[in-house]
Amino acid sequence: MLKSIIGVGMLAAASIFATSAAYADITVYTAGPQDLIDTLSKGFTAKTGIKVNVFQATTGKVMARIEAEASNPKVDVLISASWDTATSFDKRGWLVDYTSPNAANVPDFLKTKDAVAQGVSALGIAWNPKSNTPEPVEWADLTKPAYKDLVTVPDPAQSGSSFELVAALEGKDGWKLFKGLKSNGAIVAGANADALNPVMQGAKAAVFGAVDYISLASEAKGESIKVIFPKSGTVIAPRPAMILKWSKNQDQAKQFIDYMLSDEGQAAVAADYLMPARTDVKANRPLISQLSLLKYDVKSVYASRKDTLAAFADTFK
Amino acid sequence: MKTKGRVGGATPAVWGAAAGLVLVVAVPFVFIILQAIFPQLGSGSLAAPFSEFAATLGDGALVGMAINTVLLGAGVVVLSAMVAVPLAVCRALFRVPLAVLWDAILLVPFMIPPYIATLGWIMTLQPHGYLQQIAGFNLASFLFSPAGMVFVMTFNTLPVVYFAVSRTVEAVGARYADVGRVFGASPAKAFWRLTLPLATPGLAGSLLLVFAMAIEEYGTPAALGRTAGFQVLVTGIDLRISDWPIDLPGAAILSLLLVCLSFIAFLLQRQVLKRGSYVTTGGKPQAKDKRPLGRWAVPVVAGFALVAVLATVAPLLAIVLTALSKTLSGGLAPGNFGFDNFRAILNDGAGALEALVNSLLLGIATALVTGLLGATASYVVVKTRARGRFLLDALTVLPNALPGIVVAVGLILAWNFPGLPITPYNTPLILLLAYCCILLPQPVRYATAALQQIGDNLEAAARVSGANGLVAFVRIVLPLIGPSLAASMLLVFAVASRELVASIVIAPVGMQTISTFIWQQFEQGSIGLGMAMAFIAILVTTMLPLAALALLRRGGAVEV
Repeated sequence: MLKSIIGVGMLAAASIFATSAAYADITVYTAGPQDLIDTLSKGFTAKTGIKVNVFQATTGKVMARIEAEASNPKVDVLISASWDTATSFDKRGWLVDYTSPNAANVPDFLKTKDAVAQGVSALGIAWNPKSNTPEPVEWADLTKPAYKDLVTVPDPAQSGSSFELVAALEGKDGWKLFKGLKSNGAIVAGANADALNPVMQGAKAAVFGAVDYISLASEAKGESIKVIFPKSGTVIAPRPAMILKWSKNQDQAKQFIDYMLSDEGQAAVAADYLMPARTDVKANRPLISQLSLLKYDVKSVYASRKDTLAAFADTFK
Repeated sequence: MKTKGRVGGATPAVWGAAAGLVLVVAVPFVFIILQAIFPQLGSGSLAAPFSEFAATLGDGALVGMAINTVLLGAGVVVLSAMVAVPLAVCRALFRVPLAVLWDAILLVPFMIPPYIATLGWIMTLQPHGYLQQIAGFNLASFLFSPAGMVFVMTFNTLPVVYFAVSRTVEAVGARYADVGRVFGASPAKAFWRLTLPLATPGLAGSLLLVFAMAIEEYGTPAALGRTAGFQVLVTGIDLRISDWPIDLPGAAILSLLLVCLSFIAFLLQRQVLKRGSYVTTGGKPQAKDKRPLGRWAVPVVAGFALVAVLATVAPLLAIVLTALSKTLSGGLAPGNFGFDNFRAILNDGAGALEALVNSLLLGIATALVTGLLGATASYVVVKTRARGRFLLDALTVLPNALPGIVVAVGLILAWNFPGLPITPYNTPLILLLAYCCILLPQPVRYATAALQQIGDNLEAAARVSGANGLVAFVRIVLPLIGPSLAASMLLVFAVASRELVASIVIAPVGMQTISTFIWQQFEQGSIGLGMAMAFIAILVTTMLPLAALALLRRGGAVEV
């Protein structure tokens, strides 16, 4: 028996080595969605012959990995879901200056000297039309008795865009809106998917500040979900792509950024219900120009992140 | 037991166990400590030591989180013991109708990832959930409460207690109780004074495991606790790494706190076991005949059935229903069912089959490595007089308190160090290391409990008859602890093939596992697809060990 166990063990070990990652030309770390990076890397390899090895997780997990790897980094291109990561990496001097020729039609607020948006998501109200509630049009509607105990709020401590929405709305009217939500029985759910699921099954009626592309994709799949962008304004979350200065494959990395911003790459972005970074690429969804955006100072908002989160947690205690 | 002679001369075993434990446990753990002390360790700098301690430990919410963690762990331990121990004792001492069926059904919760089970319960009990669609009412207020968390976690982990206790009580057998009866004890008294105390190693060991699993578990408290305002240390740790800006040193410091809690439980368990000798396997023939239940047959079977429904049938049903639903909002309507999600997986849309194969191979490899290392380490701890064996024992329990995410970070820090000539980092081997670290406690606890019941005279007899240490270990000890070890390796296989939290952070680029695949589907709102994958994974991880056991049994090597 022992021999056969050892035999099975060797076999398992051998096959594990065999499945070991193939040699990669560039390594991309990205925050979801998985099928977007799959499409992009497949298309890129077909076009250039350069292989792409992907690590995909949430922004937080991607950053944890980069932070832990920092003494011996592996990543060439990083695509995050939070623009703040681009700002801090720039401050640390970790980024390569690069302006892609394909970025000409990317508006100025979606690019810096060393980062450019892959696409943009926005936050909205994700509402279940089968929930026997009136269709909400404004954030404040969700504090009305019709939505008593029927609203979820994604946790701003776990999602950068939720945080910006909370901070921007708080900057406008203080905590009144959130106190109203709390007293109307709204609950803080985990990250974005955790907030959306109960709404799809009908346990809740609406998500206050859902990431739009996930909800739009669910709607396209036939789920009973409608995304509403309040006229009073919402926030957008551009997804910065950047090249890390330790990359040994900077030319290939630049080619990847070019491909991501090409017609083909931006069409893939649009196919996942994100807003393309380029204004001249069509998408089957509302675009930035059709949304009204809340005005706030990103820098000062992030400077007081801890206090804002503490006050938010206090409100929903 | 201390007073008895221990087997000496097992030096290769001692060195083997020590080397294995250092590689698998000590290395990542040391780097976690270093990360806690030196905040900028990741960048290779030792600047500003201890600078994060004050801020992290000064957090006012910390005491509450620590208390909640202990409460949750204790709650799950108590409820698991209350539910699992009576069943296990019945199973061990009496002829329970359909016993093999109950064993098989209670094996399944091992294979259901806790986060999937929790999601299943949420989808069943929340308003407009499956229960309400079928029966017209929901139990949301119960589910989203500390009591609901204890309930969900108990029914996910109680097989650990059930199998450990039924096995050890079976090994004790009815013989000692019979002797007690001869001397005038009532059946109840004989059970409470003889049988149960003799089964203490299995009971204490499995309850320690349950406690450690409960305080380390992330998915359930994250999904249910937030709404109840019930924060535990693990959710606090994950919050520090869930979004930018991330706080690795803070997470490491909180993990050390969690390790302390687990260590206290470990010391408590040792204290309990110190009190006496649990040797029941002394070479005398064991009468294995079990007694009939008589008029208790119906209530006992009803108890088994109820637990089987709560632990296995209900979560599994929720998983299947969701996997078969075309849309979540469509509910349980006839037109809403179809095999679309399963078809998508078989068509290998997003590398599902590759993920499945990766996880199964990793699960098998982890079970073999931890089984071998666990058996050796517990042998050294229980049966030799090697110096520092307490240290080895402590090392084997450490990982149970380390949240997967922190093990992952420790492993990256350790193995991505610049200048290492070869490194497992960015190969599947790093996942193997992570899983071995996280799961080593399971075989160790099971094997230790089994070893404590084996008299030293058996091995001594083999040595006297001319066998060397290795032969005596392989021919005498291994077969005797075989059933327990095999059971724990099954558990390791099941958990390793679905481990989520460490896998997300540490998976080599371009590699998917079952759990990362499921998780990515959930993140994108494709719950049905994720549940379909979960169902296939549960099916395969249940069938594979059962087939392996059937093969082994035919060979006559292991009796489970």
